[in-house]
Amino acid sequence: MLNVAIFLPLLTGLVVLTLPRNRPGLVRRIALTGAVLTFLVAIVLWAGFDPNGGALQWRTTVPWIPIGASYDVAINGLSLALILLTAVLMTVVMIFVLHEHDRAQAHAFLFLLLATGLIGLFAAQDLLLFYLFFEVGLVPMYFIIGIWGGEQRHYAALKFFLYTRAGSLAMLLGFLGLYLSMRPHSFSLPAIIAAQPLAQVPATAALVFFALLIGFGVKLPTIPLHNWLPDAHVEAPTEGSVVLAGLQLKMGAYGLVAVLLPIMPETVARFGWLLVVLALVSLLYGALAALAQSDMKRLIAYTSVNHMAYVMLGIAVAAMAGSDAARQLAVSGASVQMVSHGLLTGGMFLMVGMLQHRAGTREISRFGGLIGRMPLFSGLFALLAFGSFGLPGLSGFIAEFQVIGAALQLSVWIAAVTVLGLILATAVYLRLTAGVLMGRAAPDLDKLSWLMPHEIWPVAIVAALSVLIGIFPAMLIAALDGTVRVVAH
Amino acid sequence: MDLWAVVPEMILAGLALALVPVAGWARGRWRVTPGVVALLGLVAAAAVTVPMLNVAPKEAFCGTYAVDPFRSFYQLVIEAGAAITILILQSHFRGTEQEPQAPIAVLFATVGAMGLVAATDLGLIVLFLQMVSFPSYLLVALVRSDKRAQEAALKYFIYGAAALAVMAYGLTFLFGLTGSLSLRAIGAGLAGVDAAWIAFALGLILIGYGFEMTLVPFHMWAPDAFQGASAPVSGFVSVVPKVAAFAGLMRLLMEAMPGGLSNWPIVLSAIAAVTMTFGNLVALRQRSLKRLLAYSSIAQAGYILMAVAVAERAADALPAVGYYLAAYLLMNLAAFAVVAQVERWFGSDGFEAVRGLFRYAPWPAAALTLALLSLAGIPPLAGFAGKVFLLIAAIDGGLAWLAVIAAVNMAFALYYYVAIIAEMYFRQPSRTVDVARGLGYAWAIGLCTFGTIATGIAPRIVLDIAQVGSRLLH
Repeated sequence: MLNVAIFLPLLTGLVVLTLPRNRPGLVRRIALTGAVLTFLVAIVLWAGFDPNGGALQWRTTVPWIPIGASYDVAINGLSLALILLTAVLMTVVMIFVLHEHDRAQAHAFLFLLLATGLIGLFAAQDLLLFYLFFEVGLVPMYFIIGIWGGEQRHYAALKFFLYTRAGSLAMLLGFLGLYLSMRPHSFSLPAIIAAQPLAQVPATAALVFFALLIGFGVKLPTIPLHNWLPDAHVEAPTEGSVVLAGLQLKMGAYGLVAVLLPIMPETVARFGWLLVVLALVSLLYGALAALAQSDMKRLIAYTSVNHMAYVMLGIAVAAMAGSDAARQLAVSGASVQMVSHGLLTGGMFLMVGMLQHRAGTREISRFGGLIGRMPLFSGLFALLAFGSFGLPGLSGFIAEFQVIGAALQLSVWIAAVTVLGLILATAVYLRLTAGVLMGRAAPDLDKLSWLMPHEIWPVAIVAALSVLIGIFPAMLIAALDGTVRVVAH
Repeated sequence: MDLWAVVPEMILAGLALALVPVAGWARGRWRVTPGVVALLGLVAAAAVTVPMLNVAPKEAFCGTYAVDPFRSFYQLVIEAGAAITILILQSHFRGTEQEPQAPIAVLFATVGAMGLVAATDLGLIVLFLQMVSFPSYLLVALVRSDKRAQEAALKYFIYGAAALAVMAYGLTFLFGLTGSLSLRAIGAGLAGVDAAWIAFALGLILIGYGFEMTLVPFHMWAPDAFQGASAPVSGFVSVVPKVAAFAGLMRLLMEAMPGGLSNWPIVLSAIAAVTMTFGNLVALRQRSLKRLLAYSSIAQAGYILMAVAVAERAADALPAVGYYLAAYLLMNLAAFAVVAQVERWFGSDGFEAVRGLFRYAPWPAAALTLALLSLAGIPPLAGFAGKVFLLIAAIDGGLAWLAVIAAVNMAFALYYYVAIIAEMYFRQPSRTVDVARGLGYAWAIGLCTFGTIATGIAPRIVLDIAQVGSRLLH
């Protein structure tokens, strides 16, 4: 079943390529069907998932390359949550683009290929396979930005690709270092976690640690590897930004939590303070930079740097904290943050896309008073924005609260700086909400049309899920629990 | 006599000789004959070569010619490269006077390449190196009305003649030091010899092989020759002589200079680092597709040389080289086949020739994209698996620093590959043509692309064969 979830999107994509070129409507409907089916398969995975067993489930292992690499996929709680997130956001994106007809075949194929890469990445239990899906999940985005992006799309697409590639090659070297340190050589992630091959060789361990940190850090992104992010997010088409922020940043986050931390907990603890500093600087920088933006898309892009810093802070605390409870809290918070950020930021990018589509601009100063003209839009917009700065009752609160709670046990100062970041983030979103929804309406915005169904549904879905997690966090945390205990062990 | 050992070579050499008069007489529709016959001959030769993969290593013809899986593997790769080249050439020169001539030159060069892979005798090595090179010069000069092709051929010839002469001079030192022409006898005889003489001989020999393999600083001919020649010929020259020279060099080093004599692993790793870095840096500035692919193939040679340097130290080095050369053949010929097609439409190979290609020729554009992404090492394509194997071999052989340099190179090499992809996908075409199609192009591109994807997703089969093919005589 897991294999179906991984390859169903690719299969749908290949079907879409064979359709006649003059039927973009059909292409869109088939692509949407593929995404919905993938979501249903993910639900089946969830139904058959035992949250109490921390072990890997739905596992398939097939020999792949006779050098110690195998096609080895399985899921734990975190994988499951991210696979569900991928399926949801893909469905959302497919609904959103239902009426976009510009080269629909290539567009749908690239998104579906990307979905296969992401789901495969979250399920991969073999480092070489992990790397393969990592790249498969990234290359389509280059084309998506380059073909359907904004004015600076060539530059943004190239920058995105080169940054990512440099990061992933560093990661590959790290994986090869791990592979060669295993006796017999093996890429198997569970085997490497069990053997801890680098525990006795701190020098090699440090090299591998930094190689992996660069690889995952570029995708997260963390300071100082974040430079590609604003350009890529701003130039990407709306649906591209949704996937980029909602899902692709999770590739780096997932790598930190599910690969880096378990394979070398001692080394992560050794460099724990470096990670804390990186996380805190990213946290403050992301919020301050967002505060300075006038372009809504750029603003939200920078808040991602702020939000994803909680993941890095989470693993640093998980590696250094003394008590089991604090470690589990940190990993749990980092994991929930991935899902929450995927939903909230994905939704924010969708809403900004709708505004841009209507008004042709993303400048905050050009908008105002929307609350009277587009009440439904304004309600959803405010909900997502409040959720993003951690209002209780929404998913962001659950995640950031857990990380801060865990950090408190390590040092009050970390928690204090984090709260400062939280205040800054609140200011960012309040400024955005106030600027767009309140105040006097700009006269040239009279023509703003109401939302269409294919615009309402995507946002409604992500907003509802975020509220659901906020009110019943146990639902997600329970699924994550087994994984959290294993990772934080 | 061990004539059975050279049946593939005899088939191809016989056909090449028989086709010379045919090419002179062929007119009109009959011009296609030599190409078709050559293709059939290559298929037959490959069919004979495959079972020889399982032959236990032995010597033939009084110890001058090796019969081992190593030779059979590389001969298969060379035959595949020649067959794909002929497919492209048939479409490219359809209806011109070059149509019957080109396949014959390809056949002669192929026989030379196949011989070089198997030769264990200094005299034969010199002979076969010339036999690869001379038909290649002719191929570059094929279109006699094309001034640039003539200039390219002249450059290629003068450079090649000098390099190969210097190399022959180097080989005479090996003979002088040991009194034998046989690689294995030389390997045994060099044990107590003054290291300076061996180093001197090695240096001279590397000039010749470096010329064929486009190693820096012996690469100077390649960009000019590739740009001047027609694209299918550039593809051939970038693959077949290179494969043969890599195999020949590995045999020479492992049989005649065993145990890293004269520090050849260090020498080669230094050359590898310089070659890949230089090739990539210069490729960044190119605006001609053929010239860019020339520098790209220089960089690729650097990656491969990285594993050759650890051929004796890492058990997985020889299979890695074998796999990579097979993968390189597929992706590079796919790229050149598309460039050939574009060149035939526009008579140009500048970036503007592929501008907006995706709009009016989506399949060739997709094939070129896949080939370039594979050359850049993006999974799940053949070039990715190949690069992983090369990097593993290098780190395993103690060259972690070289692996890091290679990884940095692969990262910024992406820039120029992606520049071509961006031209095809992100820009509007400046002009469109009524897309001329050719069955040969389609087959060559289809086979190479399929191979690039298939060997990338399931590297096992080719890697297993390369593993078998890493058994040398000694």
